[in-house]
Amino acid sequence: MQQEINPSKSSIDTGVGLRIGPTLDLPWLKGLAETRVRPLFLGFWAILSIITGGLFTFIWLAEMLRLADFNIVRYLRTFFVLQVDPPPADAGLSLLVPLEQGGWWLMATFFLTICILAWDLHLWERARANNLRPTVAIGYLGAIVLYLVIYLIRPVVMGSWAEAPSHGLKAILDWTNNVSVRYGNFYYNPFHMLSIFFLLGSTLLLSMHGATILATEKYGSEYELDEAERVGPGTERAQLFWRWTMGFNANAYSIHLWAFYFAILCGVTGAIGVLLSGDQPWQVNDWFQWGVRAGIVFPDPGGPQTGPEFPIR
Amino acid sequence: MAVGTFDSARPEGRPLEEIEASYRVPGRSTLAALVGVDPFDVWIGPFYLGFWGVVSGIGIVFGSLFYLYYTVFLGPFALYPANFFAGRLAPPPLSVGLGLAPPGSEGFFWQLTVFFATLAFLGWMLRQVDISRKLGMSYEIPISYGAVFSSWLTLQVFRPILMGSWGEGFTLGIMPHLDWVSNFGYRYGNFFYNPFHAIAISLFFASTLVLCLHGATILSAALKPDAGIDNITQFWWDVLGSGASEIGVHRLGFWLAIAAVQFANLCILTSGPLVGDWVRFWDWWPNLPFWAGS
Repeated sequence: MQQEINPSKSSIDTGVGLRIGPTLDLPWLKGLAETRVRPLFLGFWAILSIITGGLFTFIWLAEMLRLADFNIVRYLRTFFVLQVDPPPADAGLSLLVPLEQGGWWLMATFFLTICILAWDLHLWERARANNLRPTVAIGYLGAIVLYLVIYLIRPVVMGSWAEAPSHGLKAILDWTNNVSVRYGNFYYNPFHMLSIFFLLGSTLLLSMHGATILATEKYGSEYELDEAERVGPGTERAQLFWRWTMGFNANAYSIHLWAFYFAILCGVTGAIGVLLSGDQPWQVNDWFQWGVRAGIVFPDPGGPQTGPEFPIR
Repeated sequence: MAVGTFDSARPEGRPLEEIEASYRVPGRSTLAALVGVDPFDVWIGPFYLGFWGVVSGIGIVFGSLFYLYYTVFLGPFALYPANFFAGRLAPPPLSVGLGLAPPGSEGFFWQLTVFFATLAFLGWMLRQVDISRKLGMSYEIPISYGAVFSSWLTLQVFRPILMGSWGEGFTLGIMPHLDWVSNFGYRYGNFFYNPFHAIAISLFFASTLVLCLHGATILSAALKPDAGIDNITQFWWDVLGSGASEIGVHRLGFWLAIAAVQFANLCILTSGPLVGDWVRFWDWWPNLPFWAGS
């Protein structure tokens, strides 16, 4: 590390909690990660997150084991297709359902939600304790918004827990497939388009940024905090590369703004797209028909020739 | 003063004019290395040209021309008050096989557009090699560009050749290419059951996660006078037990992004030549011998 150890910049180990875990030296991590593994800090939010996450995992796995009649071989054979279903549609938003007809799902989802939110508060608290801006916790919110819309907000506004996915590996894929087919093909959902754009765009940015830093590693461009304050020979080359290639460039600070917002917007636009799909008056129940009205569908030569009409739904 | 458009941070360092003057030196391009002379070794505004820039430019201009001629002048704009999203340029019918579609027949403009687009992508990649050489950088950027170029080749060249017809290539156009992807998924059962698709999607999500974590980590301390790399290191020790090193996170990102695209290529390439129905593909799993009796 080029940076000097400055007492004012060293970590401030504050906060109430436990330090648990080994101190290990793992030399094979060299070139990828810190070779020294040190104890985790477990404050209130981390402990709450770990306990609720453990309860979710236990309920999910145990209920799937019950569905496999406690037969371990059948459990392993059907592990990818076993699923814990939410309450049936006629139960609405009731929280008083039999355990085996959605009760376990409600309990598991409750603990999973607490787990995710508590982990975000843990990230926030640790960033503050280490004198950092809480940007990692804010970035995590992009994914949390999508989770909350799928499992909590959309089922509530549509009046039934059955709108949420079951807990299971194949079940998540089936829910994704079915919600697309049921609402007229998600490929025509403009917020789905934006979400995919930011998903693939994030991968593109990651590969561009990772490759740029690796290609200028011998000039020290990976010390990005220093490079953001004073441009060195590595960052000079990295910036000129993109200026010569495509006419403009980011710098060592702003490329991380691009990264941060691209990744967050993948989750946020996806959440909007899911929330707008449904049978409520303000939702869209057929994205293909929406596309026809918006005039973005290639016209059927034999069909009616109608132009775009707004507002469209 | 920072180089470039987004100079919100305004880091210290040499001004752009001085930087450009010290790096804009002739030579080192691939053509100069191969034949000793490169007449295209010039800049146009901020852009480097180079021999491969000329090749790529020809591909961009003619590819765009053929695409726009077909979709705008012959396409839905002519008969429908649609917009750019509806424009559609389909490959030749399957009966053309691996031959050339004659002028005037369906697929002629698709073949021209795909040829020039391929030229544009190839030229762009080799122009990145030129620029890397001129700046004394190693070749990671053209390599990662090559990863996504391989996706284009897989979809439009390799798989059509394996299937024996250019008609297997994807339809060009913004909404029509989405239709093609959607139809392709259900033509082979259901792509959600394609294991390579699942791995590729997981790697795309992992790439987005790593991008977010890296961007957020740098932003948490960048230009903050009372925070530095030690605070970041301690943060990740606190929440993860370890943490990516400064060069390591870029190495991880580079390989994650490339792996995502390569698994996406596999999920396309196996659909058709090897597997016809990804739902029934899994029939072997419940019939494995060691499940007997469950």
